[in-house]
Parts: sequence; C-alpha cells; structure tokens
Amino acid sequence: MGKKMICLVLLYTALSSGAVVGNTTQSQPEPAYIAAMAEKALLTDIINVAEQNLVAVGERGHILLSQDGVNWQQAEVPLQANLNSVYFLNKQQGWAVGHDASILATQDGGSSWQLQHYAPEQDKPLFDVYFTNSKDGVAVGAYGLFYRTEDGGVSWQREFHPELLSEDDQLYLEELQETDPELYQIELGAILPHFNRLYADGNVLYMVGEAGLAAKSSDNGRNWQRLDEFYNGSLFDITRTSAMTLLAVGLRGHAFQSTDQGASWQQLELDETATLNSVFSDQAGRLFIVGNAGSLLVSKDNAASFADLSRADGKAIVNGLVWREHLLLVTETGIKTIKLSELE
Amino acid sequence: MTVNRLVNKFEYALFRHRALVIVAFLLATVFLLFKATSIKLDAAFTKNIPLQHQYMQTYLRHAQDFGGANNILISLCDESGDIFNANFFDTLRKAHDELLYTSGVDRVQVKSLFSPSTRFVEVVEDGFAGGPVIPADFIANSDGLAKVKENTEKAGIVGRMVADDYSCAMISAQLLEVDPDTGEKLDTIGFASTLEQNIRAKFQSDSISIHIIGFAKMVGDVADGAKGVLVFFAIAIAVTSVMVFFFCRSLMLTLLPIACSLIAVVWQMGLLSVMGFGIDPMSILVPFLVFAIGVSHGVQMINSTGKRVAAGMDAKTAAQASFRKLLVPGGVALLSDTVGFLTLLIIEIGVIRELAITASLGVAVIILTNLILLPVLMSFVRFSRGYKARVAAPSPGADKVWFALSAFATRKYAAIILLVTAVLFGFGYLQSQQLKIGDLHEGAPALHEDSRYNLDTKLITERYAISVDYLNVMVETLPSACTEHSIMARIDNFQWLMENVEGVQSAVSLASVSKSINAAFNEGNVKWRVLPRNTQSLVQASSRVETSTGLLNADCSVMPVILFLEDHKAETIERVVAAAKKYGAELGDEQTRFMLASGPAGVMAATNEAVSEAQQPMMWYVYGAVIILCLLSFRSLRATISVIVPLYVVSVLATALMTKLQIGLTVSTLPVIALGVGIGVDYGIYILSNMTQMLRDGAPLRQAYFEALKERGSAVLFTGITLAIGVSTWVFSALKFQVDMGILLTFMFIVNMLGAIVVLPALAAFLWRKN
Repeated sequence: MGKKMICLVLLYTALSSGAVVGNTTQSQPEPAYIAAMAEKALLTDIINVAEQNLVAVGERGHILLSQDGVNWQQAEVPLQANLNSVYFLNKQQGWAVGHDASILATQDGGSSWQLQHYAPEQDKPLFDVYFTNSKDGVAVGAYGLFYRTEDGGVSWQREFHPELLSEDDQLYLEELQETDPELYQIELGAILPHFNRLYADGNVLYMVGEAGLAAKSSDNGRNWQRLDEFYNGSLFDITRTSAMTLLAVGLRGHAFQSTDQGASWQQLELDETATLNSVFSDQAGRLFIVGNAGSLLVSKDNAASFADLSRADGKAIVNGLVWREHLLLVTETGIKTIKLSELE
Repeated sequence: MTVNRLVNKFEYALFRHRALVIVAFLLATVFLLFKATSIKLDAAFTKNIPLQHQYMQTYLRHAQDFGGANNILISLCDESGDIFNANFFDTLRKAHDELLYTSGVDRVQVKSLFSPSTRFVEVVEDGFAGGPVIPADFIANSDGLAKVKENTEKAGIVGRMVADDYSCAMISAQLLEVDPDTGEKLDTIGFASTLEQNIRAKFQSDSISIHIIGFAKMVGDVADGAKGVLVFFAIAIAVTSVMVFFFCRSLMLTLLPIACSLIAVVWQMGLLSVMGFGIDPMSILVPFLVFAIGVSHGVQMINSTGKRVAAGMDAKTAAQASFRKLLVPGGVALLSDTVGFLTLLIIEIGVIRELAITASLGVAVIILTNLILLPVLMSFVRFSRGYKARVAAPSPGADKVWFALSAFATRKYAAIILLVTAVLFGFGYLQSQQLKIGDLHEGAPALHEDSRYNLDTKLITERYAISVDYLNVMVETLPSACTEHSIMARIDNFQWLMENVEGVQSAVSLASVSKSINAAFNEGNVKWRVLPRNTQSLVQASSRVETSTGLLNADCSVMPVILFLEDHKAETIERVVAAAKKYGAELGDEQTRFMLASGPAGVMAATNEAVSEAQQPMMWYVYGAVIILCLLSFRSLRATISVIVPLYVVSVLATALMTKLQIGLTVSTLPVIALGVGIGVDYGIYILSNMTQMLRDGAPLRQAYFEALKERGSAVLFTGITLAIGVSTWVFSALKFQVDMGILLTFMFIVNMLGAIVVLPALAAFLWRKN
C-alpha cells in the first residue's frame, strides 16, 4: 500500500512537471551510457580547449575528451539526449547543448557535467551556444528557440525575436495576438525559422538558420538585424576567412561569400550537391568546408578555389578542426583523423 | 535358464526350416531393395532446428510476418572491380528476374537494386525528393549509371545491396517452407541445384562471378558432397572384404558376412522408405556404419563356426552351436546399440531424431541378418579339408601372443594398467570440460574451409557490411507502439547497447531507421537523427518504413532489432545472447518484451543451447540403457562394471579429442558420442560373455581371459582394425563434418577395442579377487 502511494505521487509530479513549460530542470533524465563505441557513433561538434584538450560531443549524451586527439575518454553525462554543440569560454568553463532543449555545463574542463536546462516536453533541439563571459550567454535552436542567461547558466530565460521574422509574418502575428490569443501562443513556438549556428566576430554576433536566415547583432543577440535574403535554402554555418570575407554554407552544396560584412553575397561555384554542414579555417589560413556524403573541400586561397578531398565512404562530416598537423573530423561514424600532409 | 530354453527352442525351429527362413529373407530383401531404390536425399531447414526451444517458438510465432531465417544471398561481382557498366546491370536484372520466378522463393522478399522497394530519399530546398534507385526510364549508359550510383549512395544501401567498394551487387531472397501455389514442401536440395543451373551456370561469365550462400545452398553442397559417400562405401566394402578374406582364408566365409551386412543396409534403407523417411545428407554415413557393425558381428559368427568345424563338427552343427553361443551376447550388444541410438530421440532436433531412427533401425536389422540369417546360410557351407586343417592346425604363435596378453588379467599388470587409465581419464576429463558448443570456425562447418561455399561466404562478408550471421531480437509490444516515443526510445537504447557488444558488427531496427528518416525530413541534417517526442512527427518518421523491410509487422506491435554478427562462432553467439538477455531484461517490462530470437544466428543460438542441454541427458540415457542391458544379460554387477568403465573412459577421451582438434559439439557431432558408445560396447560384451561361465565355475581369471582371447580375441582385434580402416578413409571426404566424424569414429573403434582387451581384464583382476 505504502509503495503504491509513492509511485502514484512520483507519477503525478512527472506528469505535472511535463505540463508546465518552464525554464528549469524538471523531470530527471537517465545518464548517458558509457560505451566503447561512442567514439565511432554520431558526433556533431568538436572544440579545442586552450590548446590542451579536445572535447567532442554527439548523440546519446556522448561527450568525449582527449589530450592527444588519438585516445578518447567518455565523460559521465547526466543525460542521453543528442548533443549538437559545445563551447568553452576558457580552460575550465564550458557548455554543451542539444535535444530536449538541454544545456549542460562544466566547471572542470569537461570532466564532469551538470544539467542546467532540460525541457523534453518542448521537443525542440538547441543547436548552438555562445558565452561572452562567464555570466552572459545565449543558446539557440529549432523554431527560433532562444535562451539567455546572465548568471552563468544558473537560470535561463526564453526570448522571442520577432525581428527575425519577415514583415508579413510580423503583421500576421500582431493580428493574431488580438484575434486568437490561443493560436498566437502556438505560433510563437513554431513560426520562427531554425537557428542553426552562431558565430562571434569580434563584438558582432552572426547567426544563420533555416530558409536563408542570416542575421547579425551587436548587443550579444538582444537585438537582431536580418541580412537581405540571398538564398532560400537553409544555411548551416558562417565564418570569417583570413582575407576578412564572410563565408556561409548550407543546403545542397550552396556556399556564399560576402566582402561587405554581409550586405551583399555572391554564390561560390562549387561542384558539390551534398549539404554543407560546417566551414572553418586554421591558423595557416586554410579553409575547410565539410558536409554530408563525405564532402570535404579545402581552399588555400581564401575560397578562390577548392580542392575536392571528399571521403570515399560517403559518411556525413558534421564539423572539424585542425589540431597538431591533423585534421580532426566529427562524422556520423565518429572521429576521423587525417594528416594535413595527406591533403596536399 | 529360461533364456537358454528360449534360445534352444528358437534354434530348433530355425534350423529345421532352413529353406523357409532363407526364402523369407530373400522375399523381404527383394521387396525392401525395391523400396530402397526410391529413397531420396531429403533436407529441410526446419529439421535442423530445435522447434521446441523457446527461441524457436518466438521465431515460429513471427515467421509469418517476418519471413524465416531461411534466406539466400546471391552476390554478382564484376571482375573489373566496378559494377557500373551496362553488361553488369543487364546480368543483374536478368538474375533478379530469374530468382523472382524460381519456385520456393518468397517473391515479396526478393531484394536487389532492381526491386521496386529499393528507393532513395533526398532533401531538396522545397522538401523531399525520392524514387526507385533504378529509375523507370533507366538506360545503362554512362549518364544512367552515374544516376544509379548517386541514388545508391543516397539510399544508404552501400554495404547491403552493393559491396562497400562497388565491386559487387547483391540479390537476396527468403525461401518459403511450403510453396503457396502447390502446397508442397520446399525441395531444398532441388532448389539448390536450380540455383546452380539457372543462376550460376547461366550468368557466370569471364567478367562476372557469382557467389551464392544461404542454408539451401549449403545443404545443396552438402548433398553433392554426400554423393561422394558412395565412393567411400565402395572402398570400405573392398577393404573390409580383403581383410575378412585374410582373416578367414575362405572365399565363401568372406562373402557371407559381407552379403548379410549389405542385406542389413538394404533393409534399413527399404524400411526407411516404407516409413516415409528420406535420408538426410547429415546422416548419409549411417548406412555405412550399419554395414560396419554388421561385419563386426558377422566375423564373430564365422570365427566361431569356423573354429567348430575345424574341431570336427559338420557345418550345420557348428553353425547351430555358434548361433546358440552368440545369439545372446550378439543380441545384447546390438540391442544396446539400438537402445543407445534411440536415446537420441530425446533431442528435439529433426535431423538428430532421424539419425536416431535411421541408426537404430539399421542396428536392429543386423540382429536378423547377421545373428539369424548368417548362421543359417553358414550351415550350408561346405568346408574344404584344407580349410579345416588350416584352422585346426595349432597356432603356437598366436597362442603365445594371447597368453602374453592374458597377463593383463594379473594383478601386477592390472595395477599399472588401471593407474595409466586413471591418469589418461583425469587428463581427458579436464580437456573434455573445455569442449566448445557449436561451430568454431567461420563459414559452413559441414563444408571444408576452402570449399566454394565457404569461399563465397568469405567474399561476401569481406566485401559487404552485412553477413548471413544475423540474429533478430523480436520486440513484442503494444499495437501502434511505433508511435510511442518511450517504447521506441527503449528499442533504440537496446540497439545501442547491443552495438557495443563485442561480436556485433552493426544493427538496425525501426527505431534507428526512423531516426534517419526524421533527419531526412529535416533537410538531411544529421543533428535531427533522433526519435521525435511528438507523436505526429514520430508517426511521420516511422510510417515511411514498409513492412517489407522486415522491421515491423502490420500494426507495429512487433519490431525486430536485427544484429549483424561478425561470425557465428559459438562464443560470439553466446556472448551476444547473454547481453541481449541482460539488456532485454533491463529495458523490457510486461508490455514491451525483448524476445530471442530469429535469424540464422538466432537459430544457431537455439541449436547450440539445445545441443548443450541434450549432451548430459543423452549420455545418461545411453549409459543407462547399456548398463541395464548388461545387468540383464550378465546378471553380474562386476561384469557390468568391467564393460562400462572402459567404455566411459573412451567417451571422455573422445570428448577430449574433440576439444584438442577444435571440433565443436554440434548437431552432426553430438550423435557420434552415442554411436561410439553403442559400437564400443560390442567388444566388451563379446569378450566378457565368453569369460563369465568359466569364472562362475571358478576358473582362474587369467585362464578364463586366455580362453576368451583364443576364442574371440582375433575377431575382436580384427573387427576393431577393419572398422577403423574403413572409417578413417572419411578424412578424404569433401565434407568437413564427415572428416570430423571419421576421425572420432576411428578413434572410438580403436580405443574401445583396446579398452576391451587391456582395461577390461585389468578391472576384472580386481573385481574377481577369488578367481
């Protein structure tokens, strides 16, 4: 009898917490499995932490740590959701975000992780996270999901950015707010495009996303200015090249370059049809574009020309970085390491 | 005494109506020969399965929806290393169509690049695009082939339908146990030869090689190899005849036991045919075994009769006396063989049961042919004076040998013998505990490693990401469970945990496919490779998967997790099964059960378990039967112990030999132990039955043993060696399991004989202390 009562109470709290859309950790997720195959499973992001450590994140709450780029240890993570992005502010402090609007934080360089935000009932993933200092940070995701913290992630506030909507959509929303408040609430959660990636360029924060979304903000994302549309497909990443141009990549082999801080864009002629997931450069000024179907494009002349070094296995490459004369790629089949000399 | 009276009565009746007896046997033989000629090689997938096993119950429960484990893979490989050329695609299409219209094939389950269910999906700016991998307007020119290559990559079938390096393409199919059109049982061997003729012979060329694997093909190859058994049969008959002739130096006496043993084989085959059985390729050696056992008893009979004739009796009296003298020990020996083989019936695997019936029938028949017909026939033999003189002539050489051997029955030697035996037993016992269950090697264990079938298996496992060694864990849950995030997530977790188990190469389930589809719905972005929590989105992802994929049934209340294994070695399967049980218990509940198992490796898991569970009981039953029969016939515990102990030591040593030679305990090797016991007991019974009377009369043990050796020793030695030579030729067989059986039986024949001649008297030396 006593046991039954406890079960009922637990069930009730689980249901009730699910019903409330909130911004704090609610139902308790299961911790990630520590699994030998984690480094061969889907990985989505990798970061170089103070030139000392590598941290990669991926599906099922996998967070992998390495000091040499060869041997990887899986960290204990209190969550099984797929992680999409990782960001480190300094050697110690970092955040990782992913599905179920999850935000994890570490204070010890990635060895241990605490759950700061978890909202499975929203069924929306976060795609990127960025901190300007140890207090102020933003996390962005699907359907315009946008969170801000001013206390290092102790609490996260949801923000809605209607300025990123088209004029038509903005008018529609205003009208709806008066005529049908219920539908208005629903639309708030779905009308914005996916926010796919943040890129901090000095004091300017760029963001790219679904259906050609490209925007910039000079106040840490409180106010956004949408760039003139130059593509109707999704953009997945944006970066600045060593020639100070901006480069954005997206769906089905599309890549665009801007020499005027995003005011106007020119499409690059790439012989590529696969979706491009990420663009990044190394200290030597080499530019790498990676994408689905094993796509790997390398440019040594700031995107004037690209060598096609796509991988024969056709596995999607999600992101990467250069680390001690090696190109480390995070792919749908885990870490891939290529010697830079092999790319010559 | 009553037994004696019965034997006397029987003897009297038999030898009074000798002509009648012979005519009756003749008629029966003609009839059964006629029947025997129509016997067929018969193999069926289900016969090799322990149908009562829990796993197989799961398998059978879902066979209707998910097809069986009886599949066939045909890989076409282009010698140039690249399949994208017109000739290859033309051949692939023709081969696909040919297989589609081969009877016995489940047409819905025929899959290749050319099957309509092979589709790709891709993401474009305004949503989805997709279609068949090979478009309807496909023309095999460079543009068309490039398009197909692109679609192949998008469809994610590289490694499954196309080799990893694009050098081969696969056609896969499942076979139906019963043809739905004709209602007839699938003729597996016929199907295999159809594949050879209509696929391999037709489409193999200088530029395209064809590789076929799957149970049906394996059985077909085994059946082909089994036909070679006739050669071994001929060799065995020849070797045995020559040996018998040198033993008895009489053409007539050579012919009679050989003929009677062949009659036993004819009867056995005829009776099987009458009972409606075929002969399974796996038990193709049994007739040979029957022949061998027949000869061994026949030689005792001619030995006994010959010695009596030489002593002055006429043929009829001598034959009659031999009959009287040998009916009981021979009958008991053969009866224990029969019962021993019958105990194999407890193993719920069709082929082993058939083997039990085939073997016990054959051995029972020998009682008639070699203990009854043979002496009756011998009573007509006219022995030449030369023969009598030869046999009657004192043989001081042989007697000297026998006398020397009889020293084994003295305490001094006996102690040494028993000590050595004990050491051997101890060593053997330790080794025998290491015996592995199941197949220890890659490929089909029935066939040699360099057989074409196993080379084909190797090629396919090397070039593709999949293999035939897969195990399905059937997730039995609620209707429409594929729309419930919590259930799908558990399936997904289960799959992931299993993918981390050593020996699991890859895995697939509706959960993992739904995740990929969800990513596809989200612009092909792998970051969306999750199970949506939202029911509509989950339905959107999972409903695109058709039941023909084998990943779900019509109401998705059953969803298999398919685990592709690296190999089918027993330890791999054991490890995977143990992990699946553990994780299944952790993640499952009343509503969602992770049930083992289907798929070829699931069948192997069940078979391994059934075989390993059967091993101990089988030994108990075989020994139980032999012990009871020995007790009944000898009416002496001491005699029974003397016969059984050496026999058991040999069983253990044979098991140790299996460990040493890396022969696993499988459906084909399990019965060998039982067969070995059945055959090995003969020697002991013949030797001891000759001794017991003398011992009862108080004769010294060594004396009794010496007499037994003089009377039957040569026959025992002779049969042991002859049978061993006969079976040892099997090591040249085209079939690996025959090689294994040959080695084990040779060992058993020789060592059992040694056991009866060396260990039995040593034991007796301590058991009959008064003598």
